[in-house]
Order: sequence, then structure tokens, then C-alpha cells
Amino acid sequence: MAPDAQGPGLATRLVRALALMWLVSVASFAMLHAMPGDPVVITLSVQNLPVTPDTIAALRAEWGLDRPLVEQYWRWLADFLGGDWGVSFRTAQPVLDEFARRLPVSMVLGFGGLGLAVAVAIPLGFAAARRPGGGADRVARTITVLTQALPSFWLGLVAIWLFAVQLGVLSAFTGPLVERLVLPIGMIALYSLGTLTRVYRAELLAAAETPMFQTALAKGLSRSQALWRHAHRRALFGLVASLTPEFGWVIGGTAVTEVVFGLPGISQFLVESIGVRDYLVLQAYIFVIALWMLVVSALAGVAGRVLDPRVRA
Amino acid sequence: MTRLRQIAAAMTLCVAVAAATPGTGLDSAHAEDDVSPVTIGQTFIAASLDPADGSAGWALTSHGVGQNLFGIDRDGAIVPVLAEAVEADGDGWIVTLRPDRRFSDGAPVTAADVAAALGRTNDRNPAARATGGAMTFTALDDLTLRIVPERPVPMMASLLAEWPMVVYRQTPDGPAFTGPYQVDAFDGAGEITLSPNPHYDDAVARRPDIRLLRFSDPQSLALALQAGELDLAFNLPVEALPRLRADGNLTVRSFPVAYQYMMWMNTRRPALNDAAVRRAIDLAIDRDMLIDAVNGGEVATGAFATFFPFADDAPRRHDAAEAAALLAAAGWTDGDGDGVRDRDGEDLALSLHAYPQRPDLVSFLPVVETQLESVGIGVSTFVTEAVSQLAGSHDFDLLLWAQHTAPAGDPAFFLNDFLRSGGRNNHSGYANPRYDAVLDAMAGTGAPDEREALAREAQDILFADAPVSFLVTPFWHYGTSARLADYEIWGSDYYIIRDDLFVAGE
Repeated sequence: MAPDAQGPGLATRLVRALALMWLVSVASFAMLHAMPGDPVVITLSVQNLPVTPDTIAALRAEWGLDRPLVEQYWRWLADFLGGDWGVSFRTAQPVLDEFARRLPVSMVLGFGGLGLAVAVAIPLGFAAARRPGGGADRVARTITVLTQALPSFWLGLVAIWLFAVQLGVLSAFTGPLVERLVLPIGMIALYSLGTLTRVYRAELLAAAETPMFQTALAKGLSRSQALWRHAHRRALFGLVASLTPEFGWVIGGTAVTEVVFGLPGISQFLVESIGVRDYLVLQAYIFVIALWMLVVSALAGVAGRVLDPRVRA
Repeated sequence: MTRLRQIAAAMTLCVAVAAATPGTGLDSAHAEDDVSPVTIGQTFIAASLDPADGSAGWALTSHGVGQNLFGIDRDGAIVPVLAEAVEADGDGWIVTLRPDRRFSDGAPVTAADVAAALGRTNDRNPAARATGGAMTFTALDDLTLRIVPERPVPMMASLLAEWPMVVYRQTPDGPAFTGPYQVDAFDGAGEITLSPNPHYDDAVARRPDIRLLRFSDPQSLALALQAGELDLAFNLPVEALPRLRADGNLTVRSFPVAYQYMMWMNTRRPALNDAAVRRAIDLAIDRDMLIDAVNGGEVATGAFATFFPFADDAPRRHDAAEAAALLAAAGWTDGDGDGVRDRDGEDLALSLHAYPQRPDLVSFLPVVETQLESVGIGVSTFVTEAVSQLAGSHDFDLLLWAQHTAPAGDPAFFLNDFLRSGGRNNHSGYANPRYDAVLDAMAGTGAPDEREALAREAQDILFADAPVSFLVTPFWHYGTSARLADYEIWGSDYYIIRDDLFVAGE
């Protein structure tokens, strides 16, 4: 295929991605340092230490915040690219270690929740499209409305109260790992389930309007068979497209769930770091999330090529 | 349906990988022992086992792992822990250690160990230099230590009771401590497993293993206690207390803490430069209504929580009529009938600030506003995130503030730092030579009785001059299962797990 048919070549995309990452790092560095609130003063206050010019100056020097901003940025960038992400102002632990320890928790929650949502959304959406306005369709619509209307922390607390306190069927905080993950993954899945079901259903119904689908019905296929053979693949393409932004919050978007269920993920860590202006953690997070979105975007492009015959042609 | 099977398999794999991944913070190791383990939930746990890191020393002491040379007892008094005594020695201090103390690896606590540990922490952790600056620690013999601070320190026992000054010994397996518990497993994120320190005392066999869990959400903490998953939940939210108290299986207690709520009055402002106006504002505030606004606490008696030996006894008074009379006598009357007092054409209108990091103070804003308006003082309220900058800029009239006023059991820190003429954190701009003279006298004596009397004398001067209005001593709340029903927590969050934590009937 000619390059102009596929868009820019790999090298060009790589250069653009690198330039984008650099711009993100500069913008985020500038914005973080422009935020109101001084991490030194906050830390001293939080630790019940005297907030005096002496203590402020000592801590500022120790953290390198007494240097010119431009120097701070280049030092950070060089160290970051060299694998030294600095030390968290709040926990005094290497930022890279914190990410390595907490990222898997958030990713299990995020991917587990999304995976469960997809696994349920496909049969539910299929059943809804098979009989629009029927029972499954109403269930899907109700889930969508409820999850959009109810705050996730409230729903999480209600789930704990119901399953752990009232029914006593699981230990939400002290049980084995798999038991502890049931509710949080379920909560995350619930929040994506409604949207994904509606997207998948809508794509199926759109495909059902095509002449090919009508021909399949005329040839004697049942509606279910026709939907599966002639609409499902197209609907999957739509589902993947709608999943792309959902993947964005897999890293850092599960904070409420992590806080409510006491899970030590990166999202909870991020929220706590914002409160104390933990620059190195926040900067690393923004960098990682930007990189993650680039990767997700590239993977979505690949998936689109695999699923959509028009792109593959 | 092959794709569905693939998705299901991928999800299963995800969960399985997480379960098998070491250090995710989700492992749940238990240690079996004679006494069945207890599970404790808190809103903070140590992020590191190195006392030189951040506030790790504080957390480790709170967990019953670390100990200092001196500590604070239930009555707020400074007491020897690993030390036997401390006395001034020229420009330094001589500390004598107790001869019978051991680290959790069995090694005796020697002056060389203490000097190495405190020297290392002082060198690495700015928090350890906050009071005495850079300090030198020299072992004179096995049980005697000489400490020379960079800055004058009136009471070395108090400095040595500060949370960064934890004693430890570096071993190939990490630091060994002296507290009643030792760390068995630590994931650095959300869980610590403790077991009794075998070299602490004879009662070690009766102490349970402890699984310590971190909760970010206090409501979840309350639910975990109610679900029977915790034996002790520390720092319960006020709104959960009625529900928990109604549960016959739980014991819920509240205790006053050393973090005091107060209000600075900026004496640099013309209206507030008059002590009569400041006293009127102090009298106009009904502390009981503030307590209602945050569902708990007790009326402040002065700068310190009542359990400290140097605290005053009488709750601060509320008398709106007397406040109004004081204002009228000072020339502030409502001449133009707009509801706000004025003098020489100038309204008595003040700005009142709080900060969101202390939500209780934000809850106080409308209450204080209403009470001051009821005596004819106009009030504009503000919530300011960067409160230290605001305090430093002096751009406020009234500033609500929360402060641990005796973090190391000594009244001098707060009275000097926040209220002495030219003090480092003198937010109200207060200056009174008579008050400073009392603090000078306090610096000249190490006798506890004399220091307590002088602390009360200093507070009496503050009550008369009213550069600050002492408002409320807040309560913290904790709940226990029947197994720990007799266990009590006091003071603040410095000593949550102590050597008297035993399981009832086991």
C-alpha cells in the first residue's frame, strides 16, 4: 500500500510522538509549578514541624526546589529518562518503586473491570438488539441511567454494606485477594457496562438496516443468526472505538474505587500526591499517562485495521 | 463465541497475575501464634521502615515498633523510655540510658547505637533538625551519650520525644527497633504484619500478631469494623458513630486530642489593635455551637488539651452581652443603624479565613460569622488553600487554625513559636514584654512544676490580651471488637499500638 493511503510513515509518527511527549512534559512541569500551594510548606505543616524561613529553605534545598525552574526541568528530564524518577516528597520512597508497586493494582482493577464489562456488554447488547424494547433492552437502559446518576463512591459503600456487613458473604478488606477484588472490579465494570452495551446494541441495529442483513433474513436465517453472522463484527469495531477513551482511565481513573476498597493502587496515590503537591509523582504520572494514551491510540488503530474490512482493503 | 472465551480467559489471567505478583500490596500473609492475630485499620500506616525517611518515625512509633529516648505518657507528661535521665552539660546534654533494653534482634541498646541512629536521622531528615538544628551525638561509654545541638534547646527531653528521634540499629535485614512489636512483613503501600518483639519483656507470649491495614476512606473503615473484619478501627468518622454504638458487638470511644482549634486575631489591623475589641470577639464566640457544627469536641480551656499538666482548667467563656458592652465602651456603636458597629465613620468589618485541609475549620466559618454578626461585627468569610502563605503575608483579620500545641509534651514550643514578640510563626503580630519575660523565665528552668506554673501564667496574659481565641479541643474516635474491648487510646495518633494491647480472654 502506498504511504499516502495509510497516512504518515512509522518514522514520522515516532518523531511526532516524541515531540508530543516533550511538549507534554514541558507543559505539565510548568503547570504543576504554577499551582497554588508550596509542597515544602504543606509537608512541614502536615508533619507538625515549624514552618519557618530556616526549615523552608533547608527542605527546599534538599528537594532541589531552590534552583531555577529551567534547571529543575532539565535535571528532572535527564534523570527521568535515565530511570531515576526521583523521591516522593510525601512518602520519601523512589517514585519509580511506588509506580512499580502500585501500577499493577490499578491495571488489574481497570483491565479486570473493562474486561468484565465487555464480557457482559456483548451478550446483553446482543439480547437487547435481538428484541429492541424488550426485557434485556430495558435492563441495559436502566443500568446506563443508574450508573450515570449514582456517585461511584456511594455505590461502592452500599455494595460493601450489603455484601460484607448485611449478608456477610465476603470479606471486602481482609479476605483473600480474589475475594477482595470481586466488588471493586464489579463496580468498575458496572460503570462501563451501560455505555458499552448501548454502543454495541446501536451498532448491531445499524447493521440490521443494511441490505445485506435483510438479504440474510430473506434467505431464512433467524434474526439472532443474522445479527451474529452479519452485524456482530461491525458492532465489535464500534465497541473497540468506544473502548479507546475508556482505556485512558485504566491508569489513574480508578481512584474512587481504590479509596473506597482500600486498595493501594496508583490512582489513590495520585490523589494523595495532588494534596501535597508532590511534583515528582505528578510529573511522572502525567508522563506515563501521556505515553499510555499514545500506546492505546496506536493499538486501537491496529485493532481497527483487523476488525474493519474497509480499512484492511 | 471464541472471542468471548478469549476475553474471559484474559480476565482470569489478569486476576491470577495480580494474585501472583509480589509486592502489589494485596498479599494477605498471616502469622499463626498462640494468641490469634488481631486486625487493625487506620487511615495512615508507615510508608517506609527507615526512620530517616519523611514521617516514618512517627508512624513506626505509632505502630508500637519504634521508641524514643523519651516519650509522652497518658497525662501528657514527658517520661523516660529508653533513657534513664538527661541533664545539661555546658553547651550540650548528657543522656544516661536504661541498662536493660534490647533491640528486636537481641542486641543490647548501647550509647553507640543510639548515637549512630540519631546522628543518621538528624543528618538525613530535615524534620529531625527542626528544633535543635544539626546535632552531634557522641557515645561516652556503653550507657552514656553526649548531645550538642546547633541551636539552644531549653528542654532536651522534649526534643528527644519528638517523633523523628526514634532509636534503631542498622542490621543486614534492615533496621531493628525496641518497641513491643517487630515488623514481619511490609509491602510499602497498604499493609504491615507485626509480631511481638521477643526481646521486649516477659509478656511477649500474651501479645497477638497484628495485621495493620491502611484505609483511605473513613467510611470504609467504619464498614470494615461493622462487618467484623477489624478488631480496632482508628479515626472513625463522626457520622458513623451512632450506627456503630448501636452495635452490641462493638465498643466505640472518643478522646480529646492535642490538636487545638483556635483563631488568630491580626493585631496589626487598626480595629484589632485594641485588646478590648479582641476580648469582645473572644467572648462573642459560643464554643458549644462550634462543637455542634462538627459533632464533637470540648470547649478549649486555653492553648493546650486538658490532659496536659500545664493546661488551664476553666473552659473559655461565652457572653455576648459582655462582648457587646466591651465594644460599646471601646467606641464601636451602630451609629448608622445598618447592623454593623462603626467608629469615626469606619465599619467594624472583618475578614475571616479557614483552610480546606482542616474541614472542621471550614464548618466553623458560618457559625463564627453568625455569632460575630449578632454582636454587630461585619464578617466576610474566605476559604484559602495556601494558608501558610496567607498567615505569612498577614493579609487577614481573623484566621481559624488547627495546631498540635505540645507535640513533644512541652508547652514552650507553641508559646514561643506562635506568640512571642517576633516569634517565627507569630501570625497575630502579638508583642507583650511581660509575656516574653514569662517565657524567658520558662527557658531558665527545667523543673516541671515551675514550667507548668509559668505556662499557665503565660496563658493568663494571652487571655487578657486575646491575640488568639482558643476555641475547641477536638475529639477523635475509635472502635474495637469484643476482643479489644478494654484497650484504650489516648493523646493523639502517636501511640496507637502499645505494649498493653492484649486480647481479652486469650
